[in-house]
Amino acid sequence: MKLQGMRTYDHDEIVDVVVIGTGAGGAPLLARLAQRGLRVVALEAGPNLDPEDFTNDEVEAPRINWMSERLSGGETPTAFGPNNSGFGVGGGTLHWGAFTPRPDIRDMRLHTGSDADAGADSGADWPIEHADLTRYIVKVERTIGVSGPTPYPWDAERTYLEPPVDRNAPADLMALGCSRLGIRATDAPAAILNHDREQPHHGPRRGSQNLGSIHQGERFGTKATTANTYLPAAVAAGAEIRPDSMVHGIERDALGRVTAVVYRRGGEEFRQRCAALVLAGGGIETPRLLLNTGLANSSGMVGRNFLAHGAVQVWGRFDEQIRGYRGYPSALISEDFVRPADASFVGGYLLQSLGVMPLTFATSLVRGAGLWGAELVDALDAWRYSAGIGINGECLPRENNRLVLSDERDEWGVPRAVVTFTQGPNEKAIDDHAAGTMTSILEAAGARETRVLPRTAHTLGTCRMSTDPGEGVVDGDGRSHDIPNLWISDNSTFPSSLSANPGLAQMALALRTADRMLA
Amino acid sequence: MTAAEGTIFFLPGLGFGAAAAEPIAEAIGDRLRVVGMDLPGQGQAPDAADGTVGAMVDAALTRIETESDGGPWLLVAHSMGGKVGALVAARVLSGRANVFGLAGAVLLAPSPPTPEPMDDDKRSEMLGWVENGSLSAADARTFLDQNVASPLDGTREQDALAQVQRTSPLSWRRWLDTGSREDVSDAVGVLDLPVVVLAGEDDADLGAAAQPHLLSGVYPRARFVSLPGTGHLLPYERPDEVAAEIVRLWNETVPVSPELSPEWGRLIASDRTPVETRGLLARRALADDPGHQPSALSSAQLTILRALADLLVPQPAGRRIDLAARIDADLASGSGDGWRPAGLPDDASAYRQGLDAIARVWPDSADDQKRLIRCILEGEPIGGAGGDADSDTDADLLKHWFEDLRTDLARTWVAHPATMARLGFDGFATSGAAAVPGYVNLGAGVRDPWEPAGLGHLKTEEADEAGGADDAREAGETA
Repeated sequence: MKLQGMRTYDHDEIVDVVVIGTGAGGAPLLARLAQRGLRVVALEAGPNLDPEDFTNDEVEAPRINWMSERLSGGETPTAFGPNNSGFGVGGGTLHWGAFTPRPDIRDMRLHTGSDADAGADSGADWPIEHADLTRYIVKVERTIGVSGPTPYPWDAERTYLEPPVDRNAPADLMALGCSRLGIRATDAPAAILNHDREQPHHGPRRGSQNLGSIHQGERFGTKATTANTYLPAAVAAGAEIRPDSMVHGIERDALGRVTAVVYRRGGEEFRQRCAALVLAGGGIETPRLLLNTGLANSSGMVGRNFLAHGAVQVWGRFDEQIRGYRGYPSALISEDFVRPADASFVGGYLLQSLGVMPLTFATSLVRGAGLWGAELVDALDAWRYSAGIGINGECLPRENNRLVLSDERDEWGVPRAVVTFTQGPNEKAIDDHAAGTMTSILEAAGARETRVLPRTAHTLGTCRMSTDPGEGVVDGDGRSHDIPNLWISDNSTFPSSLSANPGLAQMALALRTADRMLA
Repeated sequence: MTAAEGTIFFLPGLGFGAAAAEPIAEAIGDRLRVVGMDLPGQGQAPDAADGTVGAMVDAALTRIETESDGGPWLLVAHSMGGKVGALVAARVLSGRANVFGLAGAVLLAPSPPTPEPMDDDKRSEMLGWVENGSLSAADARTFLDQNVASPLDGTREQDALAQVQRTSPLSWRRWLDTGSREDVSDAVGVLDLPVVVLAGEDDADLGAAAQPHLLSGVYPRARFVSLPGTGHLLPYERPDEVAAEIVRLWNETVPVSPELSPEWGRLIASDRTPVETRGLLARRALADDPGHQPSALSSAQLTILRALADLLVPQPAGRRIDLAARIDADLASGSGDGWRPAGLPDDASAYRQGLDAIARVWPDSADDQKRLIRCILEGEPIGGAGGDADSDTDADLLKHWFEDLRTDLARTWVAHPATMARLGFDGFATSGAAAVPGYVNLGAGVRDPWEPAGLGHLKTEEADEAGGADDAREAGETA
């Protein structure tokens, strides 16, 4: 994005707020604080990118992903890199799928709403009112441009400003299968523009080009990122964004309040003084920084409660060429399974139609289905005839699912993160239920054969918010229980995973935290 | 249409035009189409706007873009054409030309990307020949005599003399004053494609003795061939040997690599494909070096990795990608996927350890090898001499590393443009310079008009029902 001519601040100047990270958590907050006249600086570990820097090539595209290695353990190790981690001005929104369902009120009351005997831990409630979050979500949808169907089958109140984007073949087939089974399904809400628009402070963004490579980064601005929405607005309001700046230290005064951050840029060390600090580096980098600095962890909850959404997929083989790499990849949604009537588990899941890029599919066949040899090659040959459906499913916290620091240090000298993740019985029950549902839908649509590909997605919960300071790292506003001028605005604060994908809710939370900081 | 397997684009040296390709073309026969080119001011071509090598490159690429059918081709370049050819290859391999299919280069006593070593007296003498216009018959003969080891036969000599005399004085002067002195090595960089450099033992500054010194840094895969009793005019002096080396390089690269049809090559070449992607696909399409020297792995580790690759991602016999060599190169470059299983060391070390462990117990028969693979996949100890290699922890780590290995192999195979075509993926041709950079028709069975015919039928054909009968009409619509 264009950073030339932006306002800059001296390192010795005590700016009002430093924000670490420029993705869905950092950017909306940065914009709002700047627009209210605060002197704000964002530090982004990754580079600043121009639209031409995005490539549709899956081998090269990870330039927008956090590729410094994380170590992954447990029985169902979660994949990082392109799967869930952003890098660059725009953070995770550079690669996000732009799938923007709103959180369901029942998901925010997971603990009190569940029958509780499903497992040892039935999740945590959000210390935030659903209606309060929804007010912010509506603002976000308007700002970034969310397309979707009106009326929305599961929420009569809701309207979308733009009609939905085109359905591709997997969406058509999922719609057909659902209609034959009496399952409600409709066009998915997506942060993809339907029509060209002039984005304030950014410039022209084009309407959907039916690109299937949006996870690799997108050149035309059809997909909303913070780099084509909130960050230009932030810069216009006087924020400074420093790319290539990796924070590894936090300084405090005698009272324990944050006074500065220490970061590395181009091999040099810098210190930026600040009156308040917001961590917005996401579910891995934020707890890693806190564990490395030993801060804000009187509860011992930093790094705990790591959550990864169930993201199991089922693929069906059809007679015609589906070629689901064309078009918006997740053009159809069903929210009928947020609380399935026959559920034996806590929570539920959303369904989305799926088309994927070839290397991503190959990876899922190898890692998810364990294929090799002729069977792998045959499955790849069948890809063009295949349509997928996937879920975003609830994940409950578990004692051993957590992030700790390794002895090994990364290129910035910071200990690497070790994330241990094992899906529990509730996640397995959701996966099984979902796999059955999706198989039925594909068979109803005429699939000749189906294949289940297990997968998980997103990095949540590692600095969760809580009303009780002993149960979490920040309060409902995002403020540290321990350090009054330290805030967190990213998906590490999610008390429960929600069945909705996290991006939209995160942007709304960021605006809300900004308002609380200004209050 | 010709039945030729592919195309040779010939860039002649100073004083020569397209006709200089004819002796080579005759020697090659019908198997390959030889397209000789007139560089600016040579043959029939007008002078360029300026005297830079870049202007010659522009002219050459315009012609190659026009003549290329999307199928495989070799660049053959003589002398001055060699300097032009280096830049042509650099642009093609970085995607900055609307052409696809470059498989390698045969360079004949090429002028290097650096300033050409040239004796001052010789330069002055040659400049003197064009002071009063085109070269005289006598000067042309002197030029020819200076550049051959022994006289050409009558017809060829007449032909060569006529071409030299046809050269525009301006282009002659420009090369000697400017082009030959230009240093384009930064723009050329390192060109890691299959290359053969032929040069005469009786040539001077660009002879067989000088070429390795001039070019081995530019073309790391170059094979240098010296021709005894040969001067500088290889296309005329040694057309049979040149033709034989062209055919040999062709056989070593094109028929042993996965086939990509010209229709797909044209799509990659088109403006629909972004420049960077076109370059990536061009480089991935290059044949692997059979003499690949591993840099992250040992030779023994590379051998076992190749054996595993054959079983884990089997490829059709004959036309293959050396997946193991590509992974070795990736490991050496330090590129990873952003994570690794806890307990494993860095990727290169994990590969070395894992491959060594497998090598210790690698059986001879294919059935036993597959049994071993299943054993690893199940996380069962595989035995072997390594100290505690039998522990469950090691078996578990081996299994995790093996998943990374299988993923790397599959991704490397799929990333090749021929595999993309095989799998029916044309998404590389989006986000380019086209007015509508993405897709319009998204439904099952249908395709957009710009997409390869095998990917579905056009919407307008739905009434007719798709089928082989449509192919001819579709070809017409998309031409």
